[in-house]
Parts: sequence; C-alpha cells; structure tokens
Amino acid sequence: MAIHTLLFASLLIFSLIPSSREGNKGRLFSVLQNSLDVTGKPVQDGVVLEAGKDMVTIKWKLKSSGKVDADATFKTIQVKLCYAPISQVDRPWRKTHNELFKDKTCPHEIVSKPYDKTPQSLDWTVDLDIPTGTYFVRAYGIDGDGQEVAYGQSSDEGRTKNLFSVQAISGGHVSLDIASILFSVFSVVSLLVFFVKEKKKAKLEQRE
Amino acid sequence: MEVEGKGGEAGTTTTATRRFALPVDAENKSTTFRLFSVAKPHMRAFHLSWFQFFCCFVSTFAAPPLLPIIRENLNLTATDIGNAGIASVSGSVFARIVMGTACDLFGPRLASAALTLSTAPAVYFTAGIKSPIGFIMVRFFAGFSLATFVSTQFWMSSMFSGPVVGSANGIAAGWGNLGGGATQLIMPIVFSLIRRMGATKFTAWRIAFFIPGLFQTLSAFAVLLFGQDLPDGDYWAMHKSGEREKDDVGKVISNGISNYRGWITALAYGYCFGVELTIDNIIAEYFFDRFHLNLQTAGIIAASFGLANFFARPGGGIFSDLMARRFGMRGRLWAWWIVQTLGGVLCAFLGQIHSLTWSIVVMLIFSVFVQAVCGLTFGVVPFISRRSLGVISGMTGAGGNVGAVLTQLIFFKGSTYSRETGITLMGIMSIACSLPICFIYFPQWGGMFCGPSSKNVTEEDYYLAEWSSKEKAKNSSQKFAETSVSERGRASTHPQT
Repeated sequence: MAIHTLLFASLLIFSLIPSSREGNKGRLFSVLQNSLDVTGKPVQDGVVLEAGKDMVTIKWKLKSSGKVDADATFKTIQVKLCYAPISQVDRPWRKTHNELFKDKTCPHEIVSKPYDKTPQSLDWTVDLDIPTGTYFVRAYGIDGDGQEVAYGQSSDEGRTKNLFSVQAISGGHVSLDIASILFSVFSVVSLLVFFVKEKKKAKLEQRE
Repeated sequence: MEVEGKGGEAGTTTTATRRFALPVDAENKSTTFRLFSVAKPHMRAFHLSWFQFFCCFVSTFAAPPLLPIIRENLNLTATDIGNAGIASVSGSVFARIVMGTACDLFGPRLASAALTLSTAPAVYFTAGIKSPIGFIMVRFFAGFSLATFVSTQFWMSSMFSGPVVGSANGIAAGWGNLGGGATQLIMPIVFSLIRRMGATKFTAWRIAFFIPGLFQTLSAFAVLLFGQDLPDGDYWAMHKSGEREKDDVGKVISNGISNYRGWITALAYGYCFGVELTIDNIIAEYFFDRFHLNLQTAGIIAASFGLANFFARPGGGIFSDLMARRFGMRGRLWAWWIVQTLGGVLCAFLGQIHSLTWSIVVMLIFSVFVQAVCGLTFGVVPFISRRSLGVISGMTGAGGNVGAVLTQLIFFKGSTYSRETGITLMGIMSIACSLPICFIYFPQWGGMFCGPSSKNVTEEDYYLAEWSSKEKAKNSSQKFAETSVSERGRASTHPQT
C-alpha cells in the first residue's frame, strides 16, 4: 500500500513539472555581440531611487561603430534590469553564469519591444517589487527563434561604472502591525484565562 | 479510594465494567488504535495532539517556501538565510527538554497549549519585520513551538498501551511533521490568492503569515477545551485530589539524564529527524536555484518530501510494533538501525544526482526512509524509562533539533559547501551517528547483538530500579512493568517467575 502511494505521488509530481526549456541550453553570453549602445540614467544622479516612485531614463540604439549588418537578425529588443556585482555578494540566486539559461544577473524585465532601427528612449518608473540593490541596464537583441544574438549594457565590462541604487518598498503597513498586536494579545490573554479557569476547577474538585 | 470513579467525565461515578469506548489495560490505557474514532479520551487526545503539532510545524516552516520573495524584500544574504534556518530549529532544543519536565509536572494538555499560544505572537509579528535580524528573531521564537512534539509523544504514551504505543506515537508525530510538507504547498497558494486580491508581492507574503498564526491559536483552544491529560482525568484535578502523587522534579530529571540510552536515542534522532528538519529548511530553495524551477513547482517538490510523513512515520511506528510482536525489543532495535543506515545512504546519494527527475525520485524514497526511522525511534523511547518518560522524550526530541542545528551550521551556512555537497555529507554523518544504536542494551530484553541478561532480570526489576529503596515506587511503574512483558517477543527465553 505504501508503494502504491509512493508511485502515485511520483506520478503526480512529474505531471506537474513543466516541460524542459526549449533550445536555449548551452547558449553562452560570451558569444554575443556587443552591438548595442545602452544608457540608463536615473532622473537625479547620485541619489538612491525609490521603488514605485522614481524614474530611470533608458536609451538604446545600434552602435555606429559596429558591423554594417549587425542588426540583420534582430526581431525583438528586451531591456532588463541587472544586478551589479556588489548586490550579488553572498546571494547565489543572483549569480552570473556564462550559460544564458542559467544566468541570474538580469531577472527583472523592463520592456520588450519589436526591433526599431531608430534610437529608442524610455522613462521607466522603478517597479514596486524591485529589491534594494545596485543596478545597471542591459538590452538583448533577440532573433526570430527567441534566441539572444547581441547585447548592450549601460555599464562597463566589469559592471562597476554607471550604476544606480534602488531602495525597495518595505511592504509593511500600519494595519498589519495593528492586526499582529491584536491577535498576539488575544492569544496570550486567552491562555491566562484558561489557566485561571483550570485552577478554579481544580479547587472545586478538591473540595468534593 | 477506588481510582475508577474519580475525575474524567465530570461528576459521573460509575462502577460499570467498561467506562471507555476502547478496550483498556490495567492503567486504563487503550490497547487498540481506532483511527476514525474521536471517542473520549483516547482517540480524541490523539486527534487534538497531532493537529496542534501539525499547526506548529506549518508555522515554523512557513517562511522557507516564500524565501525567494522574502529574501528580496528584506535584502537577505545567504548567510542570513542560513542563520535563520539554524535559529528556527535551535529554539526548541531547550524548549523540548523543558517540555518533557513540564509534561511530567503539569500534564501534556496545559503544557502544549501554553507553548502554542505563547509562540503564536512570533508568527503574527512576522508580518511586520523589516530587517534580517527581525527575520532571524521571529523564526527563532516561532520555532519553540516544535516542542509540542514532546507533549504529543508523552500524551500518546499516557493514553495508549505497549503493543500500540509505537503506532500511536508514530502516527501522531508523522501527521504533525506533515505540517512541514503541507506548509510548502499552503504558503505559496495563500500567497498567490492574496496577490490576486491586489496586494503587491512584498505585502502579500506578510498577510499570508496570519493564516498559520490563526490555525496555531485555534488548535490550542481545541486542546484546552476538548482534551484530557490521562484516561482517568486531568493532571491538576488528580494532583489536588491526591491520586497522582507529585514526584520530585530533581529526581525525575537526574534519573532521566543518567540513563545512557536516552543519550543514544538523542544522537540517533538528531540524524533522522534533524535531517528531516534540515531538508524542510533547504529543499525548496535547492530545487528553485539548482534546477531553475518557479516558486510553485519548487514548493510542490519540497512539499512531497514532508507529505510522505502521512504514511512513512506512522509506518515506522507500526513496523516497530510488528517487529516487537515477533522479536520483542531486539526486533525494534534492529529495524531502527537498518532503516536509519539505509536512509543515510540515500541522502548521500541525493546530493550526487544531477538530473531533476532522478533527484525527485531519490528524494521521495529517501523521505520515506528517514521519516520511518523517526517512527522507529519512538517505538523504543517509551520503554527506556517509566518514571522519567517526559525527560527521555524531551532529550530525544531535543537531540533531533540539535542534529538539525549542527548539520545546518556545518554544511549549510553561507557558501562553504555547495548545497549538493552538503546533502551528501549530511547522509554520511547520518550513517555514522546511527552506529551507537548497536550499544543499546536492556537487561530484561537484550540488545542488538546480545540476548537478555543471564541473571534473569525482569521488567519489574528494571522499572522499579528507577526508584531508590527509600522512595515509594508509583503504582504506574508497577503496572507498566506488567504490560511491557510483551517486549520479550513471541519466543520467550525467560521462565515465568
């Protein structure tokens, strides 16, 4: 009976796991062409941006110094928010990997647009769920098969320049704090009430 | 004064031959286990205690499945997360030891409900934390509630007789531990529901924590309102009426800690239950990060580890009872050692696997083994001491948590070892720490490699030896000695005295 349950559980698990990723396995970041010119500047320099409030002006275009047909295969441009190395320290879930499907440097998508040869610009308000950290912006040129073929980023290769900082929202609310206190007090007080009742009952039994 | 007529059902003084719904032994402990009954007091106690323990487990491990969100909100590092994981299981080391004595003194009903209600605030306050320190602190205090394990085992050992105590202990603890698996499913679902109602990610996870908190509070109420410490009544009432004589706390404790078997069970339990706790803390993140799954999927896989507790731990307890029927205590010991060693082998294996599918398969088999061992351990614990049952249960339970603390400290803190390597090393340590089981020896029944003592020690000698000649041994020790004769197994090598 235990074996049947185990097998059934396994079947259930396997059926729930999404099918493996398509095609991207093995594609490396290092083979991508750096053919995009990307800048990401906060509205005010040197200030920590507040998630949900402050804006970053992002510009991207094809590098004029690059090959003539560098953008021949581009179908989409995907602009992403990426962690600077300082925000990756002691956080293996943000680690940079050369294999693109493993790479966790740029988990937050800013925008994904069909490729336009003209220089593009976007004023992006930092999303509410962006964590506290130091960031730069990267744009990927994606071909018709959904594969990355080129990139560009607002920082240098070592990802140390032109960074900006974001302060996340706390997520807390006064109403939550009040509810916590109320429920806690209720739990403790009801415990005391029960204790007193028990003592009284014990005294009664003793008198019988 | 006749024990039969006092306490228990309020006011009734009946001399009917059967006052209980289930057949009972000399101590009024049930000799059978009927899962689908809620009859007072035995089966009701069972259902109340496992459910309360389940709720405490859900609360203690409510954070791990939501860590991918929490770590971003609070800006946690891997070190912070490791420390919080250690904190979550270290609080109850102390609490479990104290709980054993508290049960001996106040009864499992009050002791467990008091703990559950006083740790619920930690769960509620999780909604308001703003920093890594806050996170570590709430996990630390919420983790104290895992000490309700000791009260569960104590309560079951007080309500159920020798031949079924392993099963009762195993099922109660198993279904409680189920909480560690259920929470990996419940919390992501609650989180998505709250998100759908419009909350941002960083607020939704906070609101989600009220659910485990509420369940914890309500389960404690149920225990206080509907539960009863002993088949004959409640501790306080019985203390006052003079039926239960108070024992000397100091003697109870010293008798317990001087029994070497309690230390061996504590160590062994550290490497079966400790392993289970560690896995509860790390497995969702392991699958999320290593195999690049999403939160829901990682949660489902992580849950399946803990969900095996539904049948695996009870299975261990039942298996222990089955072995005892045929081979007595020696059978219980052998089964325990073999299953624990095999569990360690599977754990070591798990860390070496690179494929997702096989990781899941091995993890599932490993989960059945490691949880069965927990059940097998508590098939032996009730027999180690009668006078200090609470202390031994507490020591063993605490040992489980110490194992979890040590394992997370050595193998899962920061980035010294990769998670895969940590899991393998944990398996190897598990094999090593189950070897001392070979040294457990009961003079009346024997050990793994030795038969019973040639001096013809009886169960009575063993249990009454816990009292010095000056102290008056309680009737319950005498009665327990009589009922535990079944641990000799079918082929009795002792001539009847």
